[in-house]
Amino acid sequence: MAETARVAPMRIGEPVELLEISRAWLVDPVAEREGPGEIVVRDGVLEAMTWLAGDEAEGIGPDGVVVAPGFIDLHVHLREPGNEDAETVASGLAAAAHGGFTSVCAMANTTPAADEPGVFARVRGAAAVSGSPVELLLHGAVTVGRGGERLAALGELADAGAVGFSDDGSPVQSPVILRNALLYAGMLGVPLFEHAEDPALTAGAEANEGYVATVLGLKGWPVAAEVAAVERAIVVLGAVLPDAPGARLHLTHLSTAGALDAVRRAKAAGLPVTCDVTPHHLGLTDEWVAGARRWAWEALDGDGVARDPWADGALVAHPYATACKVNPPLRAAEDAAAVLAALVDGTADAVATDHAPHTQVDKEAEFGLAANGISGVETALGVLLAAVGARRLALGRAIEALTTGPAHVLGGRAGRRGEARGLVEGAAADLVVFDAGAGWTVTAAALTSRGTNTPLLGRELPGRVLLTVADGRLAYRDPEA
Amino acid sequence: MDARQIMTADEIRRAIVRVSHEIVERQAGTAGLVLIGIQRRGVPLATRIAAAIKEHEGVALPVGALDITFYRDDLSLVSQQPIVKGTAIPVDLNDRTVVLVDDVLYTGRTIRSAMDALVDFGRPRAIRLAVLVDRGHRELPIRADHVGKNVPTSRDELVKVHLAETDGEDAVRIERREGAA
Amino acid sequence: MSAPAGPVGPSGLGAEVAWTQKHLLDVDVLSAAEISLVMKTTDAMKEILARPITKVPALRGRNVTIIFYEASTRTRVSFEVAAKNLSADVVNIAASASSVSKGESLVDTIRTIEALGAHMIVMRHGTSGAPYLAAEVFSGSVLNGGDGWHAHPSQALLDLYTMRAHLGDLRGRKVVILGDVLHSRVARSNVWTLTAMGADLWICGPTPILRGFDAWAARWANGRGPNGHGGFTVTSDVDAAVADADVVMALRLQRERMDAGLLPSLREYAARFGLTRERLAAAKPDALVMHPGPMNEGVEIAADVAVLDRSVITEQVANGVAVRMALLYLLSGVHGGAPEGAIGG
Repeated sequence: MAETARVAPMRIGEPVELLEISRAWLVDPVAEREGPGEIVVRDGVLEAMTWLAGDEAEGIGPDGVVVAPGFIDLHVHLREPGNEDAETVASGLAAAAHGGFTSVCAMANTTPAADEPGVFARVRGAAAVSGSPVELLLHGAVTVGRGGERLAALGELADAGAVGFSDDGSPVQSPVILRNALLYAGMLGVPLFEHAEDPALTAGAEANEGYVATVLGLKGWPVAAEVAAVERAIVVLGAVLPDAPGARLHLTHLSTAGALDAVRRAKAAGLPVTCDVTPHHLGLTDEWVAGARRWAWEALDGDGVARDPWADGALVAHPYATACKVNPPLRAAEDAAAVLAALVDGTADAVATDHAPHTQVDKEAEFGLAANGISGVETALGVLLAAVGARRLALGRAIEALTTGPAHVLGGRAGRRGEARGLVEGAAADLVVFDAGAGWTVTAAALTSRGTNTPLLGRELPGRVLLTVADGRLAYRDPEA
Repeated sequence: MDARQIMTADEIRRAIVRVSHEIVERQAGTAGLVLIGIQRRGVPLATRIAAAIKEHEGVALPVGALDITFYRDDLSLVSQQPIVKGTAIPVDLNDRTVVLVDDVLYTGRTIRSAMDALVDFGRPRAIRLAVLVDRGHRELPIRADHVGKNVPTSRDELVKVHLAETDGEDAVRIERREGAA
Repeated sequence: MSAPAGPVGPSGLGAEVAWTQKHLLDVDVLSAAEISLVMKTTDAMKEILARPITKVPALRGRNVTIIFYEASTRTRVSFEVAAKNLSADVVNIAASASSVSKGESLVDTIRTIEALGAHMIVMRHGTSGAPYLAAEVFSGSVLNGGDGWHAHPSQALLDLYTMRAHLGDLRGRKVVILGDVLHSRVARSNVWTLTAMGADLWICGPTPILRGFDAWAARWANGRGPNGHGGFTVTSDVDAAVADADVVMALRLQRERMDAGLLPSLREYAARFGLTRERLAAAKPDALVMHPGPMNEGVEIAADVAVLDRSVITEQVANGVAVRMALLYLLSGVHGGAPEGAIGG
């Protein structure tokens, strides 16, 4: 970066005095434009952003240094309060910055659950103490204690700035509560983030129901559990709209072709539904539980059918790695392909990481007993760039899914960035600089999060984040940049 | 790899005949004898000795095979378990005179293992040892009763016995151990 | 992790090879050659079991710790007898599920066992994949004595040994596994070993407990499986399955399956799928009858079928000790010792 940039020395949390990048690939999803350009940040403000053309643009491509707006993550678990061994607000925000995120939305399944504004205050207090410039947005729980029986203090939470309501970790099981929550949240103008799962079908489930689970003797997690819950939620949404025209349903971490098809149809019918997908559901498959380590698009044959990892010699790691255990589970290659396709065609509005750090103790157990979750906020960009590199996804679309997509989902409550999320001259700088041509190896030492529970450990990922600037202040800097 | 031949097929044949006579002479007859060959090459040797005894005494002695793999004293040192070849003891050994037969007597550890194995089968009246080649360098107090040929060797040499039944030809050769100076 | 099947020799077994697996957690990693080695070593162990003193010092000074998280007297004792026949020092732990709920994790238990001097662990656990976790934290060898629904390597190998003892080469032979395959680690391991040996394998039971096996068989049809040979058919038609079978293996059906709403009743299962004399008549006249035990007589297998001459169920138990001796012997050799020295003469 030295050749093309000038950076004044600065510390995390401090305003960026001076940052000049003279030859980079700029991606501005708001302006719907990408290409060679240069930026200057001075005293925390994006002073100048210039598109280059002709000779000046010579030799600058999307495989070098890229500048994009800072990413937004709709779905992270910061574990504080209650499970600080796994992650704290401070470590989580630092990890987010390492991943290129300048805004994150923390889920409410802490202990105590974020079902009233007092918990919000605690979490925000921890963020302030951390000094991180990364914007912390908060989801409130839908029900008291996330128990599914009584509505939480939704109005108070909205007043306290909740960007969404979610019992994530769990679905809102009762259709009555779901309907009432949609009505009330619709009145407040806050989207409901539903973790769609039919618990009756997933009791004791360990891995995606399919060939791999059959051979490994693992209890299956049927696709139907997600599809049925999604379809039910959409029906309930349709039923409440006449009374609550402001109601909005957001389905998070969708992992199956069936669920995404349901969303596609609902959108076509004009229903206010949005959804997000995780990097691990588009990049990894249930083969990984058997010990394969190839990308989802490499696990499909020419006819779009999942390959047989036992026949292919694709098994390179031990089976039953609990780092692969997540809810929803890693699905078969056909579903992963559907997730990627949904991202490409816009059915999936955003990529959200569902960053779920866990302690080693919670993961070092028999597969069926291990905690669900992948620590993913730092590897999201790498997985998406792997798809870009394999020509399965356009870089522009990937950046959109991390910026304008989430902003659109959050609507009017998108925090300080507002509806749009772009590279805006004259505004506080909120951007990420990464080298698409460089890579990094995912190791426990390289990860900033306390949670090292990712199946990508040991793998080299493309795309090295060099600098993350949030609200004009330095959030992350690569030690060698 | 230079190998020099120390026994030809004829020399092997004569040695076997002589040993077979010695065995009978030592026993003052054939009563109570059983020949047990140690896997692998001790087995065809034991069979040939029994055939020679049949020829000059007219008596067919019982012949058995003994695999000493499970009794080796170096199992904890080798990196993989040696492959077992099979044991077949055709008669009750109690009160019998067992003549163990092997191709080469060297450190004596194989014979020690063989004796350990034999006592698990019963209590022989006596155990004797017949070998085709004694190459010296004993590490245990073991000696052969009947020897085909005494061959002084150095520790960096290998004695290779080839028999028609296992190797397609009859010959005994000495080779330099690979990697030796 | 999974090895190819390798060339198949004239007896249907691969060319012999040395044993290099440090653990035995599943049978899917065994090549035909390695299976052949197990069979041959089992022959030697059977010979030992026929001696007046059924003991050899091969594992003298080695500590084998057997830890079973699921109740099973038969298999646990079989392993103990096997280890003792090889002169190993045996520690036999029957851990109940309550020790898990009391807070001692599997990892803690394995570490404790290692600290107490175990060289080898034989483990049975109710959760699929548990032995893999043990293998990660234990410095010695782990032998899977059965994990959840996933695998039971020693059972599949003793089943194979028993079949071969009667039928010889299994290529093209029709073997039927009848019963609750969904929850059966015995079934899954037998799928791997039998298809590796080129058998014509049929899996049969009521549709709800065949779930997933249809798709498995479809993938492996026409020799497309990792083993490359052997047939694999899944059906709920008992008569088609048993017709002309060389081997019929019945699997235990547990009462819990009814309680979970999976099947109507044991009586109905016995009527439609139970192995009775009438059903067995469709198989070849000298077809082998097998069962991994323990049996629910009158449910998956009729009492009078279990005691037929061609029922080799008790033979399976005897072969079990020999196979387990063979496995303990082979595994104990892989511990990174000095290269094979000159044992000399």
